[in-house]
Amino acid sequence: MGFYAVQSLNALSFSMLLLLTGLGLSVVLNLMNFVNLTHGSFFLLGAYIGIYWLASGAPWWLAFPIAFAAAGLAGLLLERFPFRQFYARTHLMQVLLTYGLSVIFADLMRWGFGAQIISPEIPELLRGVVFILDMPFPVYRLFIIGFGAFLALALWLVIDRTIWGAVVRACVVDRGFVETLGLDTRRIFTAVLVVSAGLGGIAGALGAGILSAYPGLDEEVLILALIVVVVGGLGTFRGTVLSSLLLGFVMTFAKVWIPEFSNVVALILMAALLVALPEGLVAQKVRQV
Amino acid sequence: MIEMRPLSRRRFISAAGAAALVGPVAAPSLVRAAGKPLRIGMVTSLSGPFTGLGESMRAGIQMLLAENGNAFAGRPVELIVEDDQAKPDEGVRKFRKLLGQDNVDIVSGVISSAVALAIRDVVTEAKALTFISAGSANDLARKAASPFVFRPTKTNWMLGHTAGLWAYEKLGKTGCLTIGADYAAGREYIGDFVATYQQQGGKVGKQLWAPLGTTDFGPLLTTIAAERPEFIYSFFAGSDAVRFLRQMRDYRLHGKVKLIGGGALFDQEDVVSAVKEAALGGLNTCNQSPTAPSSAAFTKAYQAARKVMPGEMGTAGYVTGQVIKAAVERVEGDLSNKDKVKEALLAKEVETVFGPMPFDPRNNQAILDIYVNEVKEGPDGVPVNQVIHTYKGVRDPGPAA
Repeated sequence: MGFYAVQSLNALSFSMLLLLTGLGLSVVLNLMNFVNLTHGSFFLLGAYIGIYWLASGAPWWLAFPIAFAAAGLAGLLLERFPFRQFYARTHLMQVLLTYGLSVIFADLMRWGFGAQIISPEIPELLRGVVFILDMPFPVYRLFIIGFGAFLALALWLVIDRTIWGAVVRACVVDRGFVETLGLDTRRIFTAVLVVSAGLGGIAGALGAGILSAYPGLDEEVLILALIVVVVGGLGTFRGTVLSSLLLGFVMTFAKVWIPEFSNVVALILMAALLVALPEGLVAQKVRQV
Repeated sequence: MIEMRPLSRRRFISAAGAAALVGPVAAPSLVRAAGKPLRIGMVTSLSGPFTGLGESMRAGIQMLLAENGNAFAGRPVELIVEDDQAKPDEGVRKFRKLLGQDNVDIVSGVISSAVALAIRDVVTEAKALTFISAGSANDLARKAASPFVFRPTKTNWMLGHTAGLWAYEKLGKTGCLTIGADYAAGREYIGDFVATYQQQGGKVGKQLWAPLGTTDFGPLLTTIAAERPEFIYSFFAGSDAVRFLRQMRDYRLHGKVKLIGGGALFDQEDVVSAVKEAALGGLNTCNQSPTAPSSAAFTKAYQAARKVMPGEMGTAGYVTGQVIKAAVERVEGDLSNKDKVKEALLAKEVETVFGPMPFDPRNNQAILDIYVNEVKEGPDGVPVNQVIHTYKGVRDPGPAA
């Protein structure tokens, strides 16, 4: 019993990481119709910043806001140039741009942070284990579950319950209309990209405790985030949540039952889901006019 | 909406063309040296999953060249380093480039066994003298051995086999659980370990496999915690190893269960420096150890230059340089007769940082001393691989196996 309880918690912690990374990607894709393949680089940047901050002896809980701010800043600079020029372009152009940028960033980060694998110093408070019915489970993963849930909830509240969220959602439906209300949609886009990049960064800082940071992590995470976003249904919050939970649980329990084929099985399942529900788990309600 | 004037295609192409023209003109002219320069090509992984290892290997051979004033047997040495990105087709491309375009006299390098197996035919066809620095698949000493390929490094069998001997003798005759990365190297290490361990009479319990690049070992560690084995034999490399060791500590298995692994699992530079205390108490069998007697001077020099103790890859780069140097010196710089070079290398052992290195004439595979390392706290509090036992002159069973 304890075994399955802990495995479920394992799955939940992994899902939380997937969720945080996927949310950033999903929001940008949904709102700005912009395929942002540099999201993995934001994740890795956040991871490196988190690691260096935690190693420097400053208050540990600041690491996450700082990672958010740093990645957000990177997002801001990128949005100004060259992303803004590419919103009107086709997805293929955006892919070419952002993929190329991600390769450049990977090299820059390797030059700046080194090629060795580095791991964060987990703060004392988060270092222990809790025993759930006799099986050990790290406190840090509980922290990820808690903090991730809090972030996701906060994001949902902002999008669903505040005026800013309403403005963002309106932009998705009809950008021109929002412009007629006198709102500068360009600034809104910038803000959304900054938040998305920041989310990627904070996910990286959180995830570094489990995944460590090294060149190549950005690609691995990007692929997982893309799977989450595409299977979940492009542009729905609930869809991303559902698909990250699904992917997390499938990958975890595949590792428990069929470890050698865990990746293959998990991805076959996701592919099958996509074939069955091409619009994703939660399809966006699109009105045909 | 403000539209920036897009960069017209014509302007872009003319600008790029101008830039390309400047390149070759500005490039420094080739070294014009006294004796005919000796061109050595090294293909290693400078991007992708083995980036850190590749950079260490490059640093190792550069150290050796610097110590010898960039000249072997009076011939100035030109080192050309290429990146294979740990992909076999990219490795083949780079080898072809080095042999065909750059006309190197000797090729070396290669970390990934997949790449090593892929280029084996390329170099055999081109009759190029090749020194595989780290690609350690068993097949390269058996079915895929080539008269032109020398391996101044271990085979996976050497490490798996010695671990099996050690485990049976010292760790326990039952209660063994294995977990490894599910790819060629992992399968070989664990397979050879299990074969030797069972041959001695030991009993192996569950065998777990994790796909290469597994991010979350949580589920597997929980499974291990439920199994309660006496000791674990494991093989992971690079980032997998770092994550596995850290997560093992997170799940409180570190210290509760004895862990013995292949050298890469506790690589001094790549892994131990990243996980620090999480590696303490770990055992591994490896052809390299920073505390091996033959490595004393090298360890000091490497630490002074790179601020970290050498792991297998840094040492392998240096050793490759040492072997190439010995080969060139034994034929007095004349590499035109490849058979003479081979004979000279096979005739006598080479003194290297790994230890004394004779080559097996059947397959040009090095016969090595394999060290059993235990990770203990060193003099300045840093965890270090300390040699606790040496299996001398371990020889791969070779083509007969």
